[in-house]
Amino acid sequence: MATIINIPEAKAIQVNNLEFTYNGAPEPSLIDITMPIAKNSVTALIGPSGCGKTTLLRAFNRMHDLYPGHTYNKGEILFEGRNIIDPKEDLINLRIKIGMIFQKPTAFPMSIFDNVAYGLRLQGTKNKTELNDRVEKALKDAAIWKETADRLKDDANGLSGGQQQRLCIARAIAVEPDVLLFDEPTSALDPISTQGIERLVTELKEKMTIIIVTHNMQQAARVSDYTGFMYLGELIELGKTEEMFVTPKERLTNEYITGKFG
Amino acid sequence: MTETQKRVLISKIVMVLSTLSALIGLAFLFWILYVLVTNGIDAINWDIFLYEGAPPGYAESGLKQALIGQLILVGVASLIGVPLGVLGGTYLSEYGQRSRLAETIRDISDIMMSAPSIVIGAFVYAVVVTPMGHFSGWAGVIALTIIMVPIILRTTDDMLHLVPGTLREAAFALGAPKYKVIIQVVYRGAKAGVLTGILLGVARVGGETAPLLFTSFNDNFMSTDLMEPMASLTVTMFNYATSPYEDWQQLGWAAAFILSMFILALNIIGRLIIMKKGK
Repeated sequence: MATIINIPEAKAIQVNNLEFTYNGAPEPSLIDITMPIAKNSVTALIGPSGCGKTTLLRAFNRMHDLYPGHTYNKGEILFEGRNIIDPKEDLINLRIKIGMIFQKPTAFPMSIFDNVAYGLRLQGTKNKTELNDRVEKALKDAAIWKETADRLKDDANGLSGGQQQRLCIARAIAVEPDVLLFDEPTSALDPISTQGIERLVTELKEKMTIIIVTHNMQQAARVSDYTGFMYLGELIELGKTEEMFVTPKERLTNEYITGKFG
Repeated sequence: MTETQKRVLISKIVMVLSTLSALIGLAFLFWILYVLVTNGIDAINWDIFLYEGAPPGYAESGLKQALIGQLILVGVASLIGVPLGVLGGTYLSEYGQRSRLAETIRDISDIMMSAPSIVIGAFVYAVVVTPMGHFSGWAGVIALTIIMVPIILRTTDDMLHLVPGTLREAAFALGAPKYKVIIQVVYRGAKAGVLTGILLGVARVGGETAPLLFTSFNDNFMSTDLMEPMASLTVTMFNYATSPYEDWQQLGWAAAFILSMFILALNIIGRLIIMKKGK
Protein backbone atom coordinates (compact mmCIF):
# COMPACT_ATOMS: atom_id res chain seq x y z
CA MET A 1 0.00 0.00 0.00
CA ALA A 2 1.08 3.48 -0.71
CA THR A 3 2.34 5.84 1.94
CA ILE A 4 0.47 9.13 1.69
CA ILE A 5 1.23 11.70 4.36
CA ASN A 6 -1.39 13.98 5.76
CA ILE A 7 -0.93 17.53 4.64
CA PRO A 8 -1.59 20.34 7.11
CA GLU A 9 -2.40 22.97 4.45
CA ALA A 10 -5.71 23.46 2.75
CA LYS A 11 -6.08 21.19 -0.28
CA ALA A 12 -6.42 22.63 -3.74
CA ILE A 13 -7.19 19.26 -5.27
CA GLN A 14 -8.01 15.86 -3.87
CA VAL A 15 -7.72 12.76 -6.03
CA ASN A 16 -9.60 9.70 -4.84
CA ASN A 17 -9.13 6.16 -6.20
CA LEU A 18 -8.59 7.41 -9.75
CA GLU A 19 -8.22 4.84 -12.49
CA PHE A 20 -7.57 5.82 -16.10
CA THR A 21 -7.11 3.81 -19.29
CA TYR A 22 -5.82 5.01 -22.66
CA ASN A 23 -7.80 4.18 -25.77
CA GLY A 24 -7.25 0.55 -26.69
CA ALA A 25 -4.74 -0.13 -23.91
CA PRO A 26 -5.20 -3.49 -22.20
CA GLU A 27 -4.18 -2.19 -18.78
CA PRO A 28 -5.05 1.04 -16.98
CA SER A 29 -2.27 3.65 -16.90
CA LEU A 30 -3.36 5.07 -13.56
CA ILE A 31 -4.28 2.62 -10.83
CA ASP A 32 -6.18 3.62 -7.72
CA ILE A 33 -4.50 7.00 -7.26
CA THR A 34 -5.40 8.79 -4.05
CA MET A 35 -3.54 12.02 -3.56
CA PRO A 36 -4.03 15.40 -1.91
CA ILE A 37 -2.54 18.50 -3.53
CA ALA A 38 -1.66 21.23 -1.02
CA LYS A 39 -2.81 24.73 -1.83
CA ASN A 40 -0.20 27.42 -2.61
CA SER A 41 2.61 24.94 -2.66
CA VAL A 42 4.60 23.03 -5.24
CA THR A 43 3.91 19.34 -5.63
CA ALA A 44 6.37 17.43 -7.78
CA LEU A 45 5.57 14.14 -9.51
CA ILE A 46 8.58 11.93 -10.11
CA GLY A 47 9.09 8.41 -11.36
CA PRO A 48 10.59 6.47 -14.27
CA SER A 49 9.35 6.86 -17.86
CA GLY A 50 5.90 5.41 -18.36
CA CYS A 51 5.02 5.52 -14.66
CA GLY A 52 1.94 7.65 -15.33
CA LYS A 53 3.06 11.00 -13.95
CA THR A 54 2.23 12.93 -17.11
CA THR A 55 -0.98 10.95 -17.51
CA LEU A 56 -2.04 12.02 -14.03
CA LEU A 57 -1.07 15.64 -14.71
CA ARG A 58 -3.12 15.70 -17.91
CA ALA A 59 -6.15 14.40 -16.03
CA PHE A 60 -6.25 17.55 -13.89
CA ASN A 61 -7.20 19.77 -16.84
CA ARG A 62 -8.89 16.98 -18.78
CA MET A 63 -6.36 17.16 -21.62
CA HIS A 64 -7.10 13.50 -22.32
CA ASP A 65 -10.56 14.49 -23.48
CA LEU A 66 -9.10 16.01 -26.65
CA TYR A 67 -8.60 12.50 -27.98
CA PRO A 68 -11.39 9.97 -28.31
CA GLY A 69 -11.51 6.74 -26.38
CA HIS A 70 -9.52 7.52 -23.26
CA THR A 71 -11.54 6.70 -20.18
CA TYR A 72 -11.61 7.59 -16.51
CA ASN A 73 -12.78 4.21 -15.23
CA LYS A 74 -13.40 5.11 -11.64
CA GLY A 75 -12.55 7.50 -8.87
CA GLU A 76 -12.78 11.26 -8.68
CA ILE A 77 -10.75 14.44 -8.77
CA LEU A 78 -12.19 17.02 -6.39
CA PHE A 79 -11.57 20.67 -7.19
CA GLU A 80 -13.57 23.52 -5.71
CA GLY A 81 -15.81 20.95 -4.10
CA ARG A 82 -16.87 19.16 -7.26
CA ASN A 83 -15.69 16.14 -9.20
CA ILE A 84 -14.03 17.55 -12.31
CA ILE A 85 -13.88 14.27 -14.19
CA ASP A 86 -17.66 14.35 -14.29
CA PRO A 87 -18.65 14.25 -17.99
CA LYS A 88 -20.79 17.33 -17.38
CA GLU A 89 -17.81 19.43 -16.25
CA ASP A 90 -17.41 22.66 -18.29
CA LEU A 91 -13.95 22.06 -19.71
CA ILE A 92 -13.46 25.62 -20.95
CA ASN A 93 -13.99 27.00 -17.45
CA LEU A 94 -11.92 24.26 -15.89
CA ARG A 95 -8.97 24.96 -18.17
CA ILE A 96 -9.15 28.67 -17.42
CA LYS A 97 -8.74 27.81 -13.73
CA ILE A 98 -6.18 25.04 -14.22
CA GLY A 99 -3.47 26.19 -16.63
CA MET A 100 -0.72 24.13 -18.21
CA ILE A 101 2.89 24.54 -19.33
CA PHE A 102 4.20 21.95 -21.76
CA GLN A 103 7.47 20.15 -22.24
CA LYS A 104 8.39 22.10 -25.35
CA PRO A 105 7.60 25.80 -25.60
CA THR A 106 4.33 26.33 -27.42
CA ALA A 107 4.48 29.93 -28.59
CA PHE A 108 1.60 30.61 -30.95
CA PRO A 109 2.45 31.94 -34.43
CA MET A 110 1.64 35.52 -33.48
CA SER A 111 3.28 38.47 -31.76
CA ILE A 112 4.63 38.33 -28.21
CA PHE A 113 1.85 40.62 -27.04
CA ASP A 114 -0.89 38.60 -28.76
CA ASN A 115 0.48 35.42 -27.23
CA VAL A 116 0.13 36.73 -23.70
CA ALA A 117 -3.17 38.44 -24.47
CA TYR A 118 -4.58 35.25 -26.00
CA GLY A 119 -6.20 33.86 -22.86
CA LEU A 120 -7.36 37.29 -21.75
CA ARG A 121 -9.06 37.94 -25.07
CA LEU A 122 -10.66 34.49 -24.93
CA GLN A 123 -12.24 35.55 -21.71
CA GLY A 124 -13.56 38.68 -23.35
CA THR A 125 -11.10 41.34 -22.17
CA LYS A 126 -11.27 43.94 -24.93
CA ASN A 127 -10.28 47.14 -23.14
CA LYS A 128 -6.89 48.16 -24.52
CA THR A 129 -5.44 49.67 -21.35
CA GLU A 130 -6.54 46.69 -19.30
CA LEU A 131 -4.99 44.30 -21.83
CA ASN A 132 -1.76 46.31 -21.87
CA ASP A 133 -1.57 46.36 -18.09
CA ARG A 134 -2.27 42.69 -17.63
CA VAL A 135 0.12 41.62 -20.40
CA GLU A 136 2.85 43.76 -18.85
CA LYS A 137 2.18 42.35 -15.40
CA ALA A 138 2.21 38.76 -16.65
CA LEU A 139 5.47 39.32 -18.52
CA LYS A 140 6.99 40.88 -15.40
CA ASP A 141 5.77 38.04 -13.20
CA ALA A 142 7.25 35.55 -15.66
CA ALA A 143 10.57 37.45 -15.55
CA ILE A 144 10.66 38.14 -19.26
CA TRP A 145 9.52 41.78 -19.37
CA LYS A 146 13.02 43.21 -19.74
CA GLU A 147 13.77 41.15 -22.84
CA THR A 148 10.43 41.77 -24.50
CA ALA A 149 9.31 45.26 -23.49
CA ASP A 150 10.58 46.91 -26.66
CA ARG A 151 9.59 44.12 -29.06
CA LEU A 152 6.05 43.19 -28.04
CA LYS A 153 4.94 43.40 -31.68
CA ASP A 154 7.60 40.93 -32.86
CA ASP A 155 6.85 37.34 -33.76
CA ALA A 156 7.08 35.17 -30.64
CA ASN A 157 8.95 32.51 -32.56
CA GLY A 158 11.95 34.82 -32.74
CA LEU A 159 12.57 34.31 -29.02
CA SER A 160 14.99 31.71 -27.69
CA GLY A 161 13.69 28.44 -26.25
CA GLY A 162 14.03 29.59 -22.65
CA GLN A 163 12.39 32.91 -23.45
CA GLN A 164 9.55 31.14 -25.25
CA GLN A 165 8.96 28.93 -22.24
CA ARG A 166 8.78 31.97 -19.97
CA LEU A 167 6.46 33.57 -22.50
CA CYS A 168 4.21 30.52 -22.24
CA ILE A 169 4.27 30.87 -18.46
CA ALA A 170 3.36 34.55 -18.83
CA ARG A 171 0.50 33.54 -21.13
CA ALA A 172 -0.73 30.98 -18.62
CA ILE A 173 -0.52 33.24 -15.55
CA ALA A 174 -2.05 36.23 -17.34
CA VAL A 175 -5.47 34.68 -16.82
CA GLU A 176 -4.68 34.15 -13.12
CA PRO A 177 -5.37 30.43 -12.79
CA ASP A 178 -5.74 28.77 -9.39
CA VAL A 179 -3.61 25.83 -10.38
CA LEU A 180 -0.73 25.64 -12.84
CA LEU A 181 0.43 22.31 -14.24
CA PHE A 182 4.02 21.98 -15.48
CA ASP A 183 4.82 19.00 -17.69
CA GLU A 184 8.62 18.68 -17.62
CA PRO A 185 8.95 22.39 -18.41
CA THR A 186 12.73 22.47 -18.56
CA SER A 187 13.56 19.25 -20.36
CA ALA A 188 14.16 21.16 -23.62
CA LEU A 189 16.10 24.02 -22.02
CA ASP A 190 19.69 24.87 -21.17
CA PRO A 191 20.85 25.04 -17.52
CA ILE A 192 20.59 28.82 -17.21
CA SER A 193 17.05 28.91 -18.62
CA THR A 194 16.20 26.00 -16.34
CA GLN A 195 17.39 27.95 -13.34
CA GLY A 196 15.18 30.88 -14.37
CA ILE A 197 12.10 28.67 -14.71
CA GLU A 198 12.75 26.97 -11.36
CA ARG A 199 13.06 30.31 -9.59
CA LEU A 200 9.82 31.35 -11.21
CA VAL A 201 8.03 28.20 -10.05
CA THR A 202 8.94 28.85 -6.43
CA GLU A 203 7.85 32.47 -6.72
CA LEU A 204 4.53 31.64 -8.33
CA LYS A 205 3.34 29.40 -5.51
CA GLU A 206 2.42 32.46 -3.49
CA LYS A 207 -0.37 33.09 -5.93
CA MET A 208 -1.27 29.63 -7.14
CA THR A 209 -0.98 25.92 -6.60
CA ILE A 210 1.67 24.23 -8.70
CA ILE A 211 2.01 20.64 -9.81
CA ILE A 212 5.18 19.82 -11.71
CA VAL A 213 6.13 16.62 -13.49
CA THR A 214 9.86 16.18 -13.74
CA HIS A 215 12.37 13.60 -14.79
CA ASN A 216 14.99 15.32 -12.79
CA MET A 217 15.05 14.41 -9.08
CA GLN A 218 17.33 17.32 -8.20
CA GLN A 219 14.77 19.62 -9.75
CA ALA A 220 12.00 18.10 -7.64
CA ALA A 221 14.17 18.52 -4.55
CA ARG A 222 14.96 22.14 -5.43
CA VAL A 223 11.50 23.46 -6.24
CA SER A 224 8.88 21.37 -4.50
CA ASP A 225 7.28 21.25 -1.07
CA TYR A 226 5.72 17.84 -1.62
CA THR A 227 6.87 15.02 -3.84
CA GLY A 228 4.86 12.13 -5.17
CA PHE A 229 6.71 9.08 -6.46
CA MET A 230 4.87 7.06 -9.07
CA TYR A 231 5.67 3.63 -10.42
CA LEU A 232 3.80 1.51 -12.99
CA GLY A 233 0.67 3.63 -12.74
CA GLU A 234 0.52 3.74 -8.98
CA LEU A 235 1.35 6.46 -6.53
CA ILE A 236 3.87 4.74 -4.27
CA GLU A 237 4.59 7.53 -1.86
CA LEU A 238 3.65 11.14 -1.25
CA GLY A 239 5.62 13.06 1.31
CA LYS A 240 7.23 16.31 2.28
CA THR A 241 10.05 16.78 -0.22
CA GLU A 242 12.82 17.25 2.35
CA GLU A 243 11.78 14.08 4.16
CA MET A 244 11.19 11.99 1.11
CA PHE A 245 14.62 12.49 -0.35
CA VAL A 246 16.31 11.76 2.99
CA THR A 247 14.12 9.16 4.66
CA PRO A 248 11.70 7.62 2.18
CA LYS A 249 9.15 5.31 3.74
CA GLU A 250 8.82 2.94 0.80
CA ARG A 251 11.51 0.60 -0.45
CA LEU A 252 10.71 1.41 -4.10
CA THR A 253 11.06 5.15 -3.47
CA ASN A 254 14.39 4.56 -1.83
CA GLU A 255 15.63 2.48 -4.74
CA TYR A 256 14.49 5.07 -7.26
CA ILE A 257 16.00 8.10 -5.57
CA THR A 258 19.27 6.29 -4.98
CA GLY A 259 19.42 5.44 -8.66
CA LYS A 260 18.94 1.67 -8.47
CA PHE A 261 16.47 1.85 -11.40
CA GLY A 262 14.70 4.39 -13.57
CA MET B 1 39.65 -3.58 -57.88
CA THR B 2 38.98 -3.42 -54.14
CA GLU B 3 35.52 -3.29 -52.60
CA THR B 4 35.95 0.38 -51.73
CA GLN B 5 37.07 1.32 -55.24
CA LYS B 6 34.05 -0.54 -56.60
CA ARG B 7 31.67 1.39 -54.37
CA VAL B 8 33.26 4.71 -55.27
CA LEU B 9 32.92 3.85 -58.96
CA ILE B 10 29.27 2.86 -58.61
CA SER B 11 28.61 6.03 -56.65
CA LYS B 12 30.16 8.10 -59.44
CA ILE B 13 28.17 6.32 -62.16
CA VAL B 14 24.91 6.89 -60.29
CA MET B 15 25.78 10.53 -59.72
CA VAL B 16 26.52 11.11 -63.41
CA LEU B 17 23.34 9.33 -64.48
CA SER B 18 21.10 11.24 -62.08
CA THR B 19 22.67 14.58 -62.95
CA LEU B 20 22.17 13.82 -66.65
CA SER B 21 18.52 12.93 -66.07
CA ALA B 22 17.95 16.16 -64.21
CA LEU B 23 19.64 18.14 -66.98
CA ILE B 24 17.54 16.47 -69.68
CA GLY B 25 14.36 17.31 -67.77
CA LEU B 26 15.46 20.91 -67.33
CA ALA B 27 16.51 21.15 -70.97
CA PHE B 28 12.99 20.34 -72.11
CA LEU B 29 11.53 22.91 -69.71
CA PHE B 30 13.81 25.64 -71.03
CA TRP B 31 13.22 24.56 -74.61
CA ILE B 32 9.47 24.88 -74.11
CA LEU B 33 9.88 28.26 -72.45
CA TYR B 34 12.25 29.41 -75.21
CA VAL B 35 9.85 28.46 -78.02
CA LEU B 36 6.92 30.00 -76.12
CA VAL B 37 8.70 33.25 -75.42
CA THR B 38 10.22 33.75 -78.86
CA ASN B 39 6.93 33.01 -80.63
CA GLY B 40 4.73 34.57 -77.95
CA ILE B 41 6.54 37.91 -77.66
CA ASP B 42 6.19 38.47 -81.41
CA ALA B 43 2.51 37.71 -81.26
CA ILE B 44 1.74 39.97 -78.30
CA ASN B 45 0.43 43.44 -78.99
CA TRP B 46 -2.25 45.75 -77.61
CA ASP B 47 -4.83 44.58 -80.13
CA ILE B 48 -4.97 41.23 -78.40
CA PHE B 49 -6.41 42.85 -75.29
CA LEU B 50 -8.72 45.20 -77.20
CA TYR B 51 -10.42 43.03 -79.82
CA GLU B 52 -12.54 39.93 -79.79
CA GLY B 53 -12.05 36.97 -82.05
CA ALA B 54 -12.50 37.57 -85.77
CA PRO B 55 -12.42 35.47 -88.93
CA PRO B 56 -8.98 34.85 -90.37
CA GLY B 57 -7.53 37.77 -92.29
CA TYR B 58 -9.12 40.52 -90.16
CA ALA B 59 -6.58 42.93 -88.72
CA GLU B 60 -8.74 43.78 -85.71
CA SER B 61 -8.59 40.40 -84.12
CA GLY B 62 -7.75 39.62 -80.50
CA LEU B 63 -8.19 37.45 -77.45
CA LYS B 64 -10.30 39.75 -75.30
CA GLN B 65 -13.18 37.26 -75.08
CA ALA B 66 -10.82 34.44 -74.13
CA LEU B 67 -8.98 36.46 -71.48
CA ILE B 68 -12.18 37.67 -69.85
CA GLY B 69 -13.77 34.23 -70.17
CA GLN B 70 -10.73 32.57 -68.62
CA LEU B 71 -10.76 34.99 -65.70
CA ILE B 72 -14.48 34.42 -65.12
CA LEU B 73 -14.26 30.63 -65.37
CA VAL B 74 -11.21 30.28 -63.13
CA GLY B 75 -12.38 33.07 -60.79
CA VAL B 76 -15.86 31.62 -60.19
CA ALA B 77 -14.45 28.08 -59.89
CA SER B 78 -12.01 29.42 -57.26
CA LEU B 79 -14.77 31.24 -55.40
CA ILE B 80 -16.58 27.92 -55.04
CA GLY B 81 -13.64 25.54 -54.90
CA VAL B 82 -11.32 27.32 -52.46
CA PRO B 83 -13.77 27.52 -49.51
CA LEU B 84 -14.97 23.97 -50.21
CA GLY B 85 -11.42 22.65 -50.34
CA VAL B 86 -10.18 24.53 -47.28
CA LEU B 87 -13.21 23.63 -45.18
CA GLY B 88 -13.04 20.01 -46.33
CA GLY B 89 -9.35 19.85 -45.48
CA THR B 90 -10.11 21.38 -42.10
CA TYR B 91 -12.66 18.65 -41.47
CA LEU B 92 -10.15 15.94 -42.38
CA SER B 93 -7.33 17.29 -40.23
CA GLU B 94 -9.20 18.67 -37.23
CA TYR B 95 -12.43 16.72 -36.92
CA GLY B 96 -12.33 13.51 -38.98
CA GLN B 97 -8.67 12.83 -38.17
CA ARG B 98 -8.08 9.08 -38.53
CA SER B 99 -11.74 8.08 -38.65
CA ARG B 100 -12.95 5.75 -41.38
CA LEU B 101 -14.97 8.51 -43.05
CA ALA B 102 -11.96 10.82 -43.15
CA GLU B 103 -9.68 8.13 -44.52
CA THR B 104 -12.25 7.28 -47.20
CA ILE B 105 -12.46 10.95 -48.22
CA ARG B 106 -8.66 11.10 -48.39
CA ASP B 107 -8.50 8.01 -50.61
CA ILE B 108 -11.21 9.30 -52.92
CA SER B 109 -9.53 12.71 -53.15
CA ASP B 110 -6.25 11.08 -54.09
CA ILE B 111 -7.99 9.11 -56.82
CA MET B 112 -9.78 12.25 -58.01
CA MET B 113 -6.50 14.12 -58.20
CA SER B 114 -5.05 11.59 -60.59
CA ALA B 115 -8.26 11.18 -62.60
CA PRO B 116 -7.80 12.34 -66.22
CA SER B 117 -9.43 15.74 -66.44
CA ILE B 118 -11.19 14.83 -69.69
CA VAL B 119 -13.13 12.20 -67.75
CA ILE B 120 -14.38 14.91 -65.42
CA GLY B 121 -15.33 16.94 -68.50
CA ALA B 122 -17.30 13.98 -69.83
CA PHE B 123 -19.05 13.60 -66.47
CA VAL B 124 -20.09 17.27 -66.42
CA TYR B 125 -21.18 16.96 -70.05
CA ALA B 126 -23.49 14.13 -69.07
CA VAL B 127 -24.98 15.64 -65.91
CA VAL B 128 -24.98 19.38 -66.74
CA VAL B 129 -24.61 20.05 -70.47
CA THR B 130 -27.01 17.36 -71.68
CA PRO B 131 -29.92 18.31 -69.37
CA MET B 132 -29.40 22.02 -70.15
CA GLY B 133 -29.34 21.28 -73.83
CA HIS B 134 -26.31 23.46 -74.57
CA PHE B 135 -22.77 24.29 -73.47
CA SER B 136 -22.45 26.89 -70.74
CA GLY B 137 -19.95 28.75 -68.60
CA TRP B 138 -21.43 27.11 -65.52
CA ALA B 139 -20.66 23.66 -66.87
CA GLY B 140 -17.05 24.75 -67.28
CA VAL B 141 -16.99 26.24 -63.79
CA ILE B 142 -18.35 23.01 -62.32
CA ALA B 143 -15.76 20.91 -64.15
CA LEU B 144 -12.92 23.14 -62.95
CA THR B 145 -14.27 23.15 -59.39
CA ILE B 146 -14.40 19.35 -59.34
CA ILE B 147 -10.74 19.26 -60.39
CA MET B 148 -9.70 21.96 -57.93
CA VAL B 149 -11.40 20.78 -54.73
CA PRO B 150 -9.43 17.56 -54.07
CA ILE B 151 -6.10 19.36 -54.62
CA ILE B 152 -6.88 22.11 -52.12
CA LEU B 153 -8.55 19.63 -49.77
CA ARG B 154 -5.50 17.40 -49.55
CA THR B 155 -2.91 20.18 -49.30
CA THR B 156 -4.97 21.89 -46.59
CA ASP B 157 -5.29 18.58 -44.75
CA ASP B 158 -1.52 17.99 -45.00
CA MET B 159 -0.56 21.53 -44.04
CA LEU B 160 -2.87 21.68 -41.00
CA HIS B 161 -1.50 18.31 -40.00
CA LEU B 162 2.01 19.79 -39.86
CA VAL B 163 0.98 22.20 -37.10
CA PRO B 164 2.30 20.55 -33.92
CA GLY B 165 -0.35 18.95 -31.74
CA THR B 166 1.15 20.60 -28.68
CA LEU B 167 0.24 24.01 -30.11
CA ARG B 168 -3.40 22.94 -30.24
CA GLU B 169 -3.16 21.51 -26.73
CA ALA B 170 -1.65 24.77 -25.48
CA ALA B 171 -4.59 26.71 -26.87
CA PHE B 172 -7.09 24.24 -25.41
CA ALA B 173 -5.24 24.47 -22.09
CA LEU B 174 -6.02 28.19 -22.02
CA GLY B 175 -9.71 27.42 -22.30
CA ALA B 176 -10.15 28.03 -26.02
CA PRO B 177 -13.12 26.39 -27.74
CA LYS B 178 -12.26 24.18 -30.70
CA TYR B 179 -13.31 26.56 -33.48
CA LYS B 180 -11.10 29.29 -32.01
CA VAL B 181 -8.17 26.91 -31.73
CA ILE B 182 -8.57 26.12 -35.42
CA ILE B 183 -9.06 29.69 -36.66
CA GLN B 184 -6.64 31.51 -34.37
CA VAL B 185 -3.85 28.99 -33.90
CA VAL B 186 -3.96 26.18 -36.47
CA TYR B 187 -4.80 28.35 -39.52
CA ARG B 188 -2.18 30.89 -38.50
CA GLY B 189 0.45 28.21 -38.16
CA ALA B 190 -0.39 26.69 -41.54
CA LYS B 191 -1.18 29.93 -43.38
CA ALA B 192 1.70 29.81 -45.86
CA GLY B 193 1.16 26.14 -46.71
CA VAL B 194 -2.59 26.45 -47.17
CA LEU B 195 -2.16 29.56 -49.32
CA THR B 196 0.39 27.78 -51.48
CA GLY B 197 -1.99 24.86 -51.92
CA ILE B 198 -4.72 27.25 -53.02
CA LEU B 199 -2.43 28.93 -55.55
CA LEU B 200 -1.27 25.61 -56.96
CA GLY B 201 -4.89 24.42 -57.19
CA VAL B 202 -5.88 27.58 -59.06
CA ALA B 203 -2.83 27.29 -61.32
CA ARG B 204 -3.69 23.68 -62.07
CA VAL B 205 -7.24 24.42 -63.27
CA GLY B 206 -6.00 27.54 -65.06
CA GLY B 207 -4.20 25.31 -67.51
CA GLU B 208 -7.03 22.83 -68.12
CA THR B 209 -8.36 22.45 -71.65
CA ALA B 210 -9.91 19.02 -71.89
CA PRO B 211 -12.73 19.52 -69.37
CA LEU B 212 -13.65 22.85 -70.95
CA LEU B 213 -13.80 21.57 -74.53
CA PHE B 214 -17.22 20.08 -74.04
CA THR B 215 -18.54 22.06 -71.09
CA SER B 216 -18.00 25.80 -71.54
CA PHE B 217 -17.04 25.15 -75.18
CA ASN B 218 -16.02 28.37 -76.86
CA ASP B 219 -17.31 31.70 -78.07
CA ASN B 220 -15.64 34.03 -80.53
CA PHE B 221 -17.30 37.05 -78.99
CA MET B 222 -17.32 38.63 -75.58
CA SER B 223 -19.74 37.05 -73.16
CA THR B 224 -19.99 37.34 -69.43
CA ASP B 225 -23.14 35.23 -69.18
CA LEU B 226 -22.31 31.97 -67.43
CA MET B 227 -25.52 30.44 -68.81
CA GLU B 228 -24.07 30.68 -72.30
CA PRO B 229 -20.96 29.08 -73.83
CA MET B 230 -17.85 30.97 -72.83
CA ALA B 231 -14.40 31.37 -74.34
CA SER B 232 -11.30 30.39 -72.45
CA LEU B 233 -7.63 30.88 -73.23
CA THR B 234 -6.97 27.17 -73.34
CA VAL B 235 -9.75 26.18 -75.74
CA THR B 236 -9.11 29.27 -77.89
CA MET B 237 -5.48 28.33 -78.01
CA PHE B 238 -6.37 24.81 -79.09
CA ASN B 239 -8.63 26.07 -81.86
CA TYR B 240 -6.29 28.78 -83.14
CA ALA B 241 -3.11 26.76 -82.92
CA THR B 242 -4.58 23.87 -84.91
CA SER B 243 -6.09 26.17 -87.54
CA PRO B 244 -4.44 26.56 -90.97
CA TYR B 245 -4.42 30.38 -90.83
CA GLU B 246 -1.25 32.09 -89.88
CA ASP B 247 -2.81 35.06 -88.05
CA TRP B 248 -4.88 32.66 -85.96
CA GLN B 249 -1.77 30.62 -85.21
CA GLN B 250 -0.10 33.84 -84.02
CA LEU B 251 -3.03 34.46 -81.68
CA GLY B 252 -2.62 30.89 -80.46
CA TRP B 253 1.00 31.61 -79.58
CA ALA B 254 -0.04 34.76 -77.77
CA ALA B 255 -2.64 32.82 -75.77
CA ALA B 256 -0.07 30.17 -74.89
CA PHE B 257 2.40 32.83 -73.78
CA ILE B 258 -0.11 34.72 -71.62
CA LEU B 259 -1.39 31.51 -70.03
CA SER B 260 2.12 30.26 -69.26
CA MET B 261 3.11 33.56 -67.69
CA PHE B 262 -0.07 33.55 -65.59
CA ILE B 263 0.60 30.05 -64.30
CA LEU B 264 4.31 30.71 -63.88
CA ALA B 265 3.44 33.79 -61.83
CA LEU B 266 1.07 31.81 -59.59
CA ASN B 267 3.75 29.18 -59.03
CA ILE B 268 6.44 31.74 -58.30
CA ILE B 269 4.16 33.51 -55.82
CA GLY B 270 3.56 30.13 -54.20
CA ARG B 271 7.30 29.49 -53.88
CA LEU B 272 7.91 32.97 -52.53
CA ILE B 273 5.34 32.40 -49.82
CA ILE B 274 7.06 29.16 -48.82
CA MET B 275 10.48 30.85 -48.85
CA LYS B 276 9.28 33.77 -46.75
CA LYS B 277 7.82 31.31 -44.30
CA GLY B 278 11.14 29.43 -44.12
CA LYS B 279 13.02 32.50 -42.92
